[in-house]
Amino acid sequence: MDLAKNLKIESVCRLNMSGPVALSPRDSVRQAVSVMQQHRIGCVVVVQDGKVTGIFTERDLLKRIVAAGRPLTLSLAECMTPNPVTVRSSDPIGLALRRMTEGGYRHLPVLDEQDRPVGVLSVRRIMRYLVEHFPQTVYNQPPDPNAVQKDRDGA
Amino acid sequence: MICPNCGHDNLPGAEECAQCMQDLTHLDRPCAQDRIERALMEEPVRSLQPARPVSVRPTTTVRQAVQIMVENSVGAVLVLGDGGKLLGIFSERDVLNRLAGLRDQYEELPVSHFMTPDPETVSADDKIAFALHKMDGGGYRHLPVMAEGKPQGIISVRDILRFVSQLCFE
Repeated sequence: MDLAKNLKIESVCRLNMSGPVALSPRDSVRQAVSVMQQHRIGCVVVVQDGKVTGIFTERDLLKRIVAAGRPLTLSLAECMTPNPVTVRSSDPIGLALRRMTEGGYRHLPVLDEQDRPVGVLSVRRIMRYLVEHFPQTVYNQPPDPNAVQKDRDGA
Repeated sequence: MICPNCGHDNLPGAEECAQCMQDLTHLDRPCAQDRIERALMEEPVRSLQPARPVSVRPTTTVRQAVQIMVENSVGAVLVLGDGGKLLGIFSERDVLNRLAGLRDQYEELPVSHFMTPDPETVSADDKIAFALHKMDGGGYRHLPVMAEGKPQGIISVRDILRFVSQLCFE
């Protein structure tokens, strides 16, 4: 199986992402942070009237809240990244990979045909996809690459 | 698992053929199915051109460390002790999971309180597949690249994805 080919023909919906964790622009950063901590995720999608209006990531938290010394009571509307780059669940995984690497994004909201958010694709999920694609290569790595024995014991 | 010598069908994972005693261990070694897989298996971490690590001291405050991460546009800083010894790594994820909303006035505390101590590392000669294995297994996004016991660089999951996407779309 050729990865380059699979990236073209397999679509994003195949990755079984968990549903998007969505908040409203009026929700506070504190709420977003506690949801992210609970779900162990790096971003929440900000949704208004069923459409994605923004994304709030751990990077936004670092830059716009912690480093800027602003309070967690701020609303997401004030500190989210508006109009994030998205992919459709029918798009090929390769397109998502390219958007991520070119834009330097770690998360892409995934939309259905009606532009409703159906999930978030993370850089980690793509890494997982690679590992699943090359299970032998990746899982068979020794704990210490320099300690591989060329022969069996006693051979 | 068919013995290449005598054709006997052995149990999967057998070390030698039950019929002719032929050594079968080499059959279990992974072999690359396509050029991207081969590149992951054969190319060393150094071909990702690891970025120079951004580092702080254990006594650096959280406020300063966060400032340094923002200014350098990095998601993690290495915490180095005397002689450049790697003590830990402090990342955005640590800010999210250990600090934000959970503690008050953490800004002036030393970063060593909240770093991940003794992080997993790779060497520049390790294969990219090995780095990928460590990242995926541990759920890390960054790995320091070591040479002579000191961190000389840092790679992130994005470096690996960029490497793969360049191969795919070239």
